[in-house]
Amino acid sequence: MAWEYYLVVMLVYLGTDLLAVWGLNLEFGVAGIANLAYIVVVAAGAYAYAIVTLGPSSGNGGFQTYIGGFTLPFPLALLVGAAAGALVGTLIGLTGLKRLRQDYQGVAMLVVSLMVTTIVSADIGLFNGTAGLALIPNPFSNLDPDTARWAYVALVAVCCLIGFVVLRRFTTGPMGRTLRAMRDDDTAASAAGKDVVRLRLVVQAVGGAFGGLSGALLAGFIGGWSPSAWAYIETLAFLSCIIVGGRGSDLGVSLGTLIIAVLLLQGVQFLPQIASSPGLSEDFGWIILGAATIAFIWFRPQGVLKERRPRYRGESPSKLPG
Amino acid sequence: MALAATGPLLEVDHLEKHYGGVRAVDGISFTVERGSITGLIGPNGAGKSTALAMIGGFVQPSGGRIRFDGVDITGMAMHARARIGLVRTFQMARVFGNLTTLENLLVAAPRQRGERAAGVVGGRRAWRSQEKELVSEAQAMLETFSMAQKANDLAGTLSGGQKRAVEIMRALMMQPKLLLLDEPMAGLSPSLSRHLEDVLLKLADGGLSLLLVEHELETVDKLCGKVVVMAQGKVLSEGRMSELRLSREVQDAYVIG
Repeated sequence: MAWEYYLVVMLVYLGTDLLAVWGLNLEFGVAGIANLAYIVVVAAGAYAYAIVTLGPSSGNGGFQTYIGGFTLPFPLALLVGAAAGALVGTLIGLTGLKRLRQDYQGVAMLVVSLMVTTIVSADIGLFNGTAGLALIPNPFSNLDPDTARWAYVALVAVCCLIGFVVLRRFTTGPMGRTLRAMRDDDTAASAAGKDVVRLRLVVQAVGGAFGGLSGALLAGFIGGWSPSAWAYIETLAFLSCIIVGGRGSDLGVSLGTLIIAVLLLQGVQFLPQIASSPGLSEDFGWIILGAATIAFIWFRPQGVLKERRPRYRGESPSKLPG
Repeated sequence: MALAATGPLLEVDHLEKHYGGVRAVDGISFTVERGSITGLIGPNGAGKSTALAMIGGFVQPSGGRIRFDGVDITGMAMHARARIGLVRTFQMARVFGNLTTLENLLVAAPRQRGERAAGVVGGRRAWRSQEKELVSEAQAMLETFSMAQKANDLAGTLSGGQKRAVEIMRALMMQPKLLLLDEPMAGLSPSLSRHLEDVLLKLADGGLSLLLVEHELETVDKLCGKVVVMAQGKVLSEGRMSELRLSREVQDAYVIG
């Protein structure tokens, strides 16, 4: 049924968007790293998943060329995707090692994002250029189509569940506190004995793993992946989820993802189509997204759910932070 | 090691900082003895803050050596210096604005299990008992600074004087051997200044060493055993405040009231 198919698509997108937004919120919302190249780690995960599941590039008549080419089982392929994200995330993090100011770092990373897109798009045998990779195998293709779809939703849900448990280990407790201190004032954090450079790289590796897993799950579901899927503007969409939801709050940014990524960007698809302007509804979505983000920055900078800190009475925190 | 434990806590040896052709600090040498309060004074632009920044690791020197507790720390990163007990505060108090006052103190505690890989993997169970001890330690410190009622307020909402207090408490949570204070009395009300002076004297009685850049000479007079006078990037003189007041050379460089 059409509505059922649509629901599956929405749920898979919600899950993969959540993973990516959690990872970017760990970097930007919690640790204060303005990683404007975040979509690159998502792409790394997707391409890695593709080339370890597609098999040798001479298959299918060799209509697409790419490096590598293996046939790993999907759980392993997802791990490879996460690892690729972590690796690329760390490499992006190296651009921040010069202790640039946060805003300059953001610009440096944006440039990295544009450069990587250009390099991958230039068809140099990496990932089949602008055409991208197709026929990425769905792990449940041997099941009947309906079961396969819901199996994929379950797979994404399990990944989200595991992801959330891991995420909370970094955003709560002493580790979360230290990262938030670094976000508020990295010089004072160094003066308090925190190794800011090391912490940043760790955060960008972990955040990268989240993005990589998100990309891998997306590639396996869609079956294709090309540079148009990971333009730099996608990073801004994730950032909007964080700003609208509540920077630094795990629950807040999850809510932000639901509002922005699902209701808003998917919702515009229901707008009536105008034959003379085929891309109109999508463009309209981006305009609403930009306007919503600016409105929140002006009128509710803390987002829908404000970051909460633990309150102490006597000896133990009376509440866990949100 | 025995030798290291008996020598001066901090030795600054021909320390230099050039910015282009400007010699902000021009080969200064002095020491800070264990358990003492040492003052660093001089007119504006004398190079005091630059000297303090180099000792704290915020600015890399152009020449000279710094030894702390018998170890050469000249090229050591700021966070590494903090971990061996050389802790600084800033001229403008810097707090973690979106953390609570209590969290500002907790974050500075050294060797936290929850910050290590094992603590992150292990979760609450790995760090809960240590965290409990740190919370009571921080709460006790807030009591002594009469700030217990601010424990759960975001540090960004505190007044200037309270932020200064948070910064000093945060430094103390790190169990420092030497505390570098850059104009701690600046912007404080007279009564708060007196209170802070008493606190610093008590800390020194407890064995903590302090190196203090300060404009308020009354404070310097009251707190500091030894005073180092800087002018135009050089050490002009050093001694007790009472002796320095009589020195012609110091009077010329620094009009003492």
